[in-house]
Amino acid sequence: MKDKIQTPPTFYTRLFRWFCKEDIYDELQGDLDEEFLFNTQKLGHKKARRLYQREVIKMVRPSIIKSLNTQQLPNNHTAMFKNYTLVALRNLGRNKLFSSINIIGLAISMVVGLIAIAFITEMNSYDDFHEHGSRIYRVVNTRTPLNETSDEYATTSVLTGRRLVNDFAGFEAVAPIYRGLSGDMTQGEVTITQRGIYTSNDFFKVFSFPLISGNPATALSDPYSVVLTEETAMKLYGKTDVVGEVIEYSNGDQLKVTGVAKNPPFHSHIQFDAIGSLETLITKNSTTVTSWGNMWSSYVYVLLPEGAKPENYQASLDQLAAEENAKVNHFQVAMGFEYLSDIVPGNGKYNQMYTIMPRKNVESIAILALIVVLSACFNYTNLSIARSVKRGKEVGVRKVVGARKTHLFSQFIVEAIFVAILALVIAILLFQVVRPGFLTLNPYMDRTTRLELTPVMYLYFFGFSLTIGFLAGCVPAMLMSKLKPVSILKGISTIKSSRRLDMRKVLIGLQFTLSMGFAVLVTLASKQYKFALSYDLGFDTENVLNVNVQGNDTELLKAAFLKVPEIKGVSTASMVPSTGSTNSDYARYKDPMDSTTAYTIDIDTEYLSNMGHELLVGENFRKGETKDKIIINELMAERLKIGSPAEALGQPLYYYDQSWTIIGVVRNFHHGTVNNKVEPFAFTSGRQNHSNLNLKLVSGDITSTMSKLEAAWKEVDPLHDFSATFYDDQIERTYSDISASVKTFGMLAGIAICISILGLLGMAVYTTESRLKELTIRKVLGATVSNLVLLLSKGFMPLFIISAAIAIPAAYLMFQRTIVKYAVYKINVGIWELSGGALLVIGIAFLTIGSQAAKAAKMNPAKNLRDQ
Amino acid sequence: MKGSHLGEFQELVLLTIMVLKENAYGVSIKREIKDRADRSISRGALHTALSRLEEKGLIESWQGEANKERGGMRKRYYKVTDTGAAALRAAKELRDSLWNEIPGLSLQYQHHYA
Repeated sequence: MKDKIQTPPTFYTRLFRWFCKEDIYDELQGDLDEEFLFNTQKLGHKKARRLYQREVIKMVRPSIIKSLNTQQLPNNHTAMFKNYTLVALRNLGRNKLFSSINIIGLAISMVVGLIAIAFITEMNSYDDFHEHGSRIYRVVNTRTPLNETSDEYATTSVLTGRRLVNDFAGFEAVAPIYRGLSGDMTQGEVTITQRGIYTSNDFFKVFSFPLISGNPATALSDPYSVVLTEETAMKLYGKTDVVGEVIEYSNGDQLKVTGVAKNPPFHSHIQFDAIGSLETLITKNSTTVTSWGNMWSSYVYVLLPEGAKPENYQASLDQLAAEENAKVNHFQVAMGFEYLSDIVPGNGKYNQMYTIMPRKNVESIAILALIVVLSACFNYTNLSIARSVKRGKEVGVRKVVGARKTHLFSQFIVEAIFVAILALVIAILLFQVVRPGFLTLNPYMDRTTRLELTPVMYLYFFGFSLTIGFLAGCVPAMLMSKLKPVSILKGISTIKSSRRLDMRKVLIGLQFTLSMGFAVLVTLASKQYKFALSYDLGFDTENVLNVNVQGNDTELLKAAFLKVPEIKGVSTASMVPSTGSTNSDYARYKDPMDSTTAYTIDIDTEYLSNMGHELLVGENFRKGETKDKIIINELMAERLKIGSPAEALGQPLYYYDQSWTIIGVVRNFHHGTVNNKVEPFAFTSGRQNHSNLNLKLVSGDITSTMSKLEAAWKEVDPLHDFSATFYDDQIERTYSDISASVKTFGMLAGIAICISILGLLGMAVYTTESRLKELTIRKVLGATVSNLVLLLSKGFMPLFIISAAIAIPAAYLMFQRTIVKYAVYKINVGIWELSGGALLVIGIAFLTIGSQAAKAAKMNPAKNLRDQ
Repeated sequence: MKGSHLGEFQELVLLTIMVLKENAYGVSIKREIKDRADRSISRGALHTALSRLEEKGLIESWQGEANKERGGMRKRYYKVTDTGAAALRAAKELRDSLWNEIPGLSLQYQHHYA
């Protein structure tokens, strides 16, 4: 015999142990062992193991394996489930308060869950209509400018696309896309404004955007050809059969229609009204469009062959990048592949083609929903355990009659699921109410999300409510089914263990921590939002209507608008400061080594007075003689060490590749948002086209003024719609991320408070009911109502203090880390901002407990004592 | 008659148990069949046959001793009952009578079991 003990394969031994009937196991396993030993000696260990395995496999036969239903109990599941449902219904009816707390609490939180499910499903359904979706990749760039940090871009140069086709083998199709086909298309009398893309024929090979007419293989071959969407064709021609027609484009080109495509689905990250041929751009402007450095508005999508891995193509990208990087010296580009389905939700790359929901939004919604839903599950668990005292008798009787643990477990689970499904029905109704609010939460939402309820969605919802029911019912079901019949029937008081009470307290404490946390957070966020909106920018934004010039002659527009009597002043500028966008360059004074970043806009002669900027010294721009004149702010004079405002007049400046003479200095103002500091700023005039017109209105009847303005606009430009927004509204939109936080946390705070108060109400009712006798006797002995209320509330006080102690710092931290992470100017957080939300929650909580206690305390003691 | 009908494999097992006398248990039956008939049967298949035979009352079984090579598991010994022996004999007689009807091929058998 060998020294080492040779054992049969463990897995098979275990497997056999698992499936073999108990009563024959010893005999068979013994035989297997004996034979294994015999075989080991005769045939060797390996062969013996193999034979053993075969023997075990062959043991799988009806005479040997355990029957699935070992508990040979009568098969009356349907009847039992009917009974469970009936009992569940009766219990719901008997305890209307508890039931409605449970159902409403669950329903409210389920709405959040439903929104999260619908939202996440929708985000993941993006771009899943492409036939070859699993093989489509986007080439993405990491660009590192000389001596600076690198950034990731969704865009790639058109050159990459062309070279992948010409110089590298193995791609099934390569589609370069250049965005920015935007302008007016005219056909006869009809002119429409549309936005689209330029691309090549391969576009139709890579993506599934079917053509309803035209040949996808040649539609985009020639310059000046265009494929319209059905919608665009209908708008222009009133029909879709338009191949061969010629459209006049706003830049003077004549575009030939070579195809009509179906409208792109809403859930596509590529959107277009028309597709121009990329050749058009290349023919007109070959060097710029196809230069290596021009990677700001073009994309390259590749279709890999069946079974190919993107890793195997990385070498091609690396080689291409290396060759092209060698020809330039002020930046380097590295390229990689991004899988189509990873594009939405977005992972923070710059220059996305269209608005893309950032992944962190999706994640935070999922996390918040999970917190809220779990919190409501706690509630159910909590209340059910509280009621276990009353249900104990039922459990005892069932057990005595012969119910097993599994039966009772399934009964309580069925009950919980029943409640969850009732809650789901209410939640779906609530969902419809909340949906519009959610869609307008922030600008990302309505552009990327619809929250439509499809049958699949309902299926998910149903599955979700089953899960919720199971989760919520799990702990009570386990506790109830464990109860011992003897102790229950002897006296229900024995099952009230302190351990369970502690768990309930922890659960309630958690809920209150959440409620207080959200309440504090919403206070802080709304304060910051109000602060940002009312922040004094140093110029006048009130009653200023910003009009998008849309390429018209500003002088004509000015003249037209000035005819409207409600207009106090008109000015034009290259852009709107303080709404997010900026324009800057390095500025120098005499010292060539000392430069500073200075922000700028280009304005007309009216702007400074119209917008209420205060010119400290010097003079305004004069019509016609503005070429090298510049007006700066105080800070710029200071930063460039030019001296006092008065000293700065007439001094030279080097800025935007030319020298300027300072003709005026304005008081400092804020050109950005609360997220950046007041910085050096300069006004120029006549350097750039003006795309924005500021109308200063007299306050009054806005509606009639607007219609007059619209009429004035139509005189100058009958084609385009009048597009104007109040400056204050634009600023408000700039802070939409904060307002979205305020709304989200507000809603969550509301829900969390509702849920925790409902839970507390249940607990209070339970506590009062179970201590009714004690309370009554105390009252008889002379306790006042307020004594009793205090007595009942006292127990909850430490709970609230602990919750607040956790919630307040956590909320403050979250406020600092998320909402005001980038803010330079922010609110001063004082004791009231921090504790206000928590105190409110505690206040509501005590009202809840107090109302119950007072109700009990006010009852006629004689009646209570007689009843008990 | 239901219960007395014997399948070919069942007959083989019954005979083997008789041959092994006091020492008929899973491993020995399996090994005997392998040696005599050169048939490799799985322990699972043998179990099915044994349990059928026991159901029909043709064999009986009892728990035996355990030893180290069996990992401490007890053996189960099998023994052919009188009914079993009768069934075997009935099967043999049926065959003999059939053989006897085939002219020139009549063979002599020796009854070496009682």
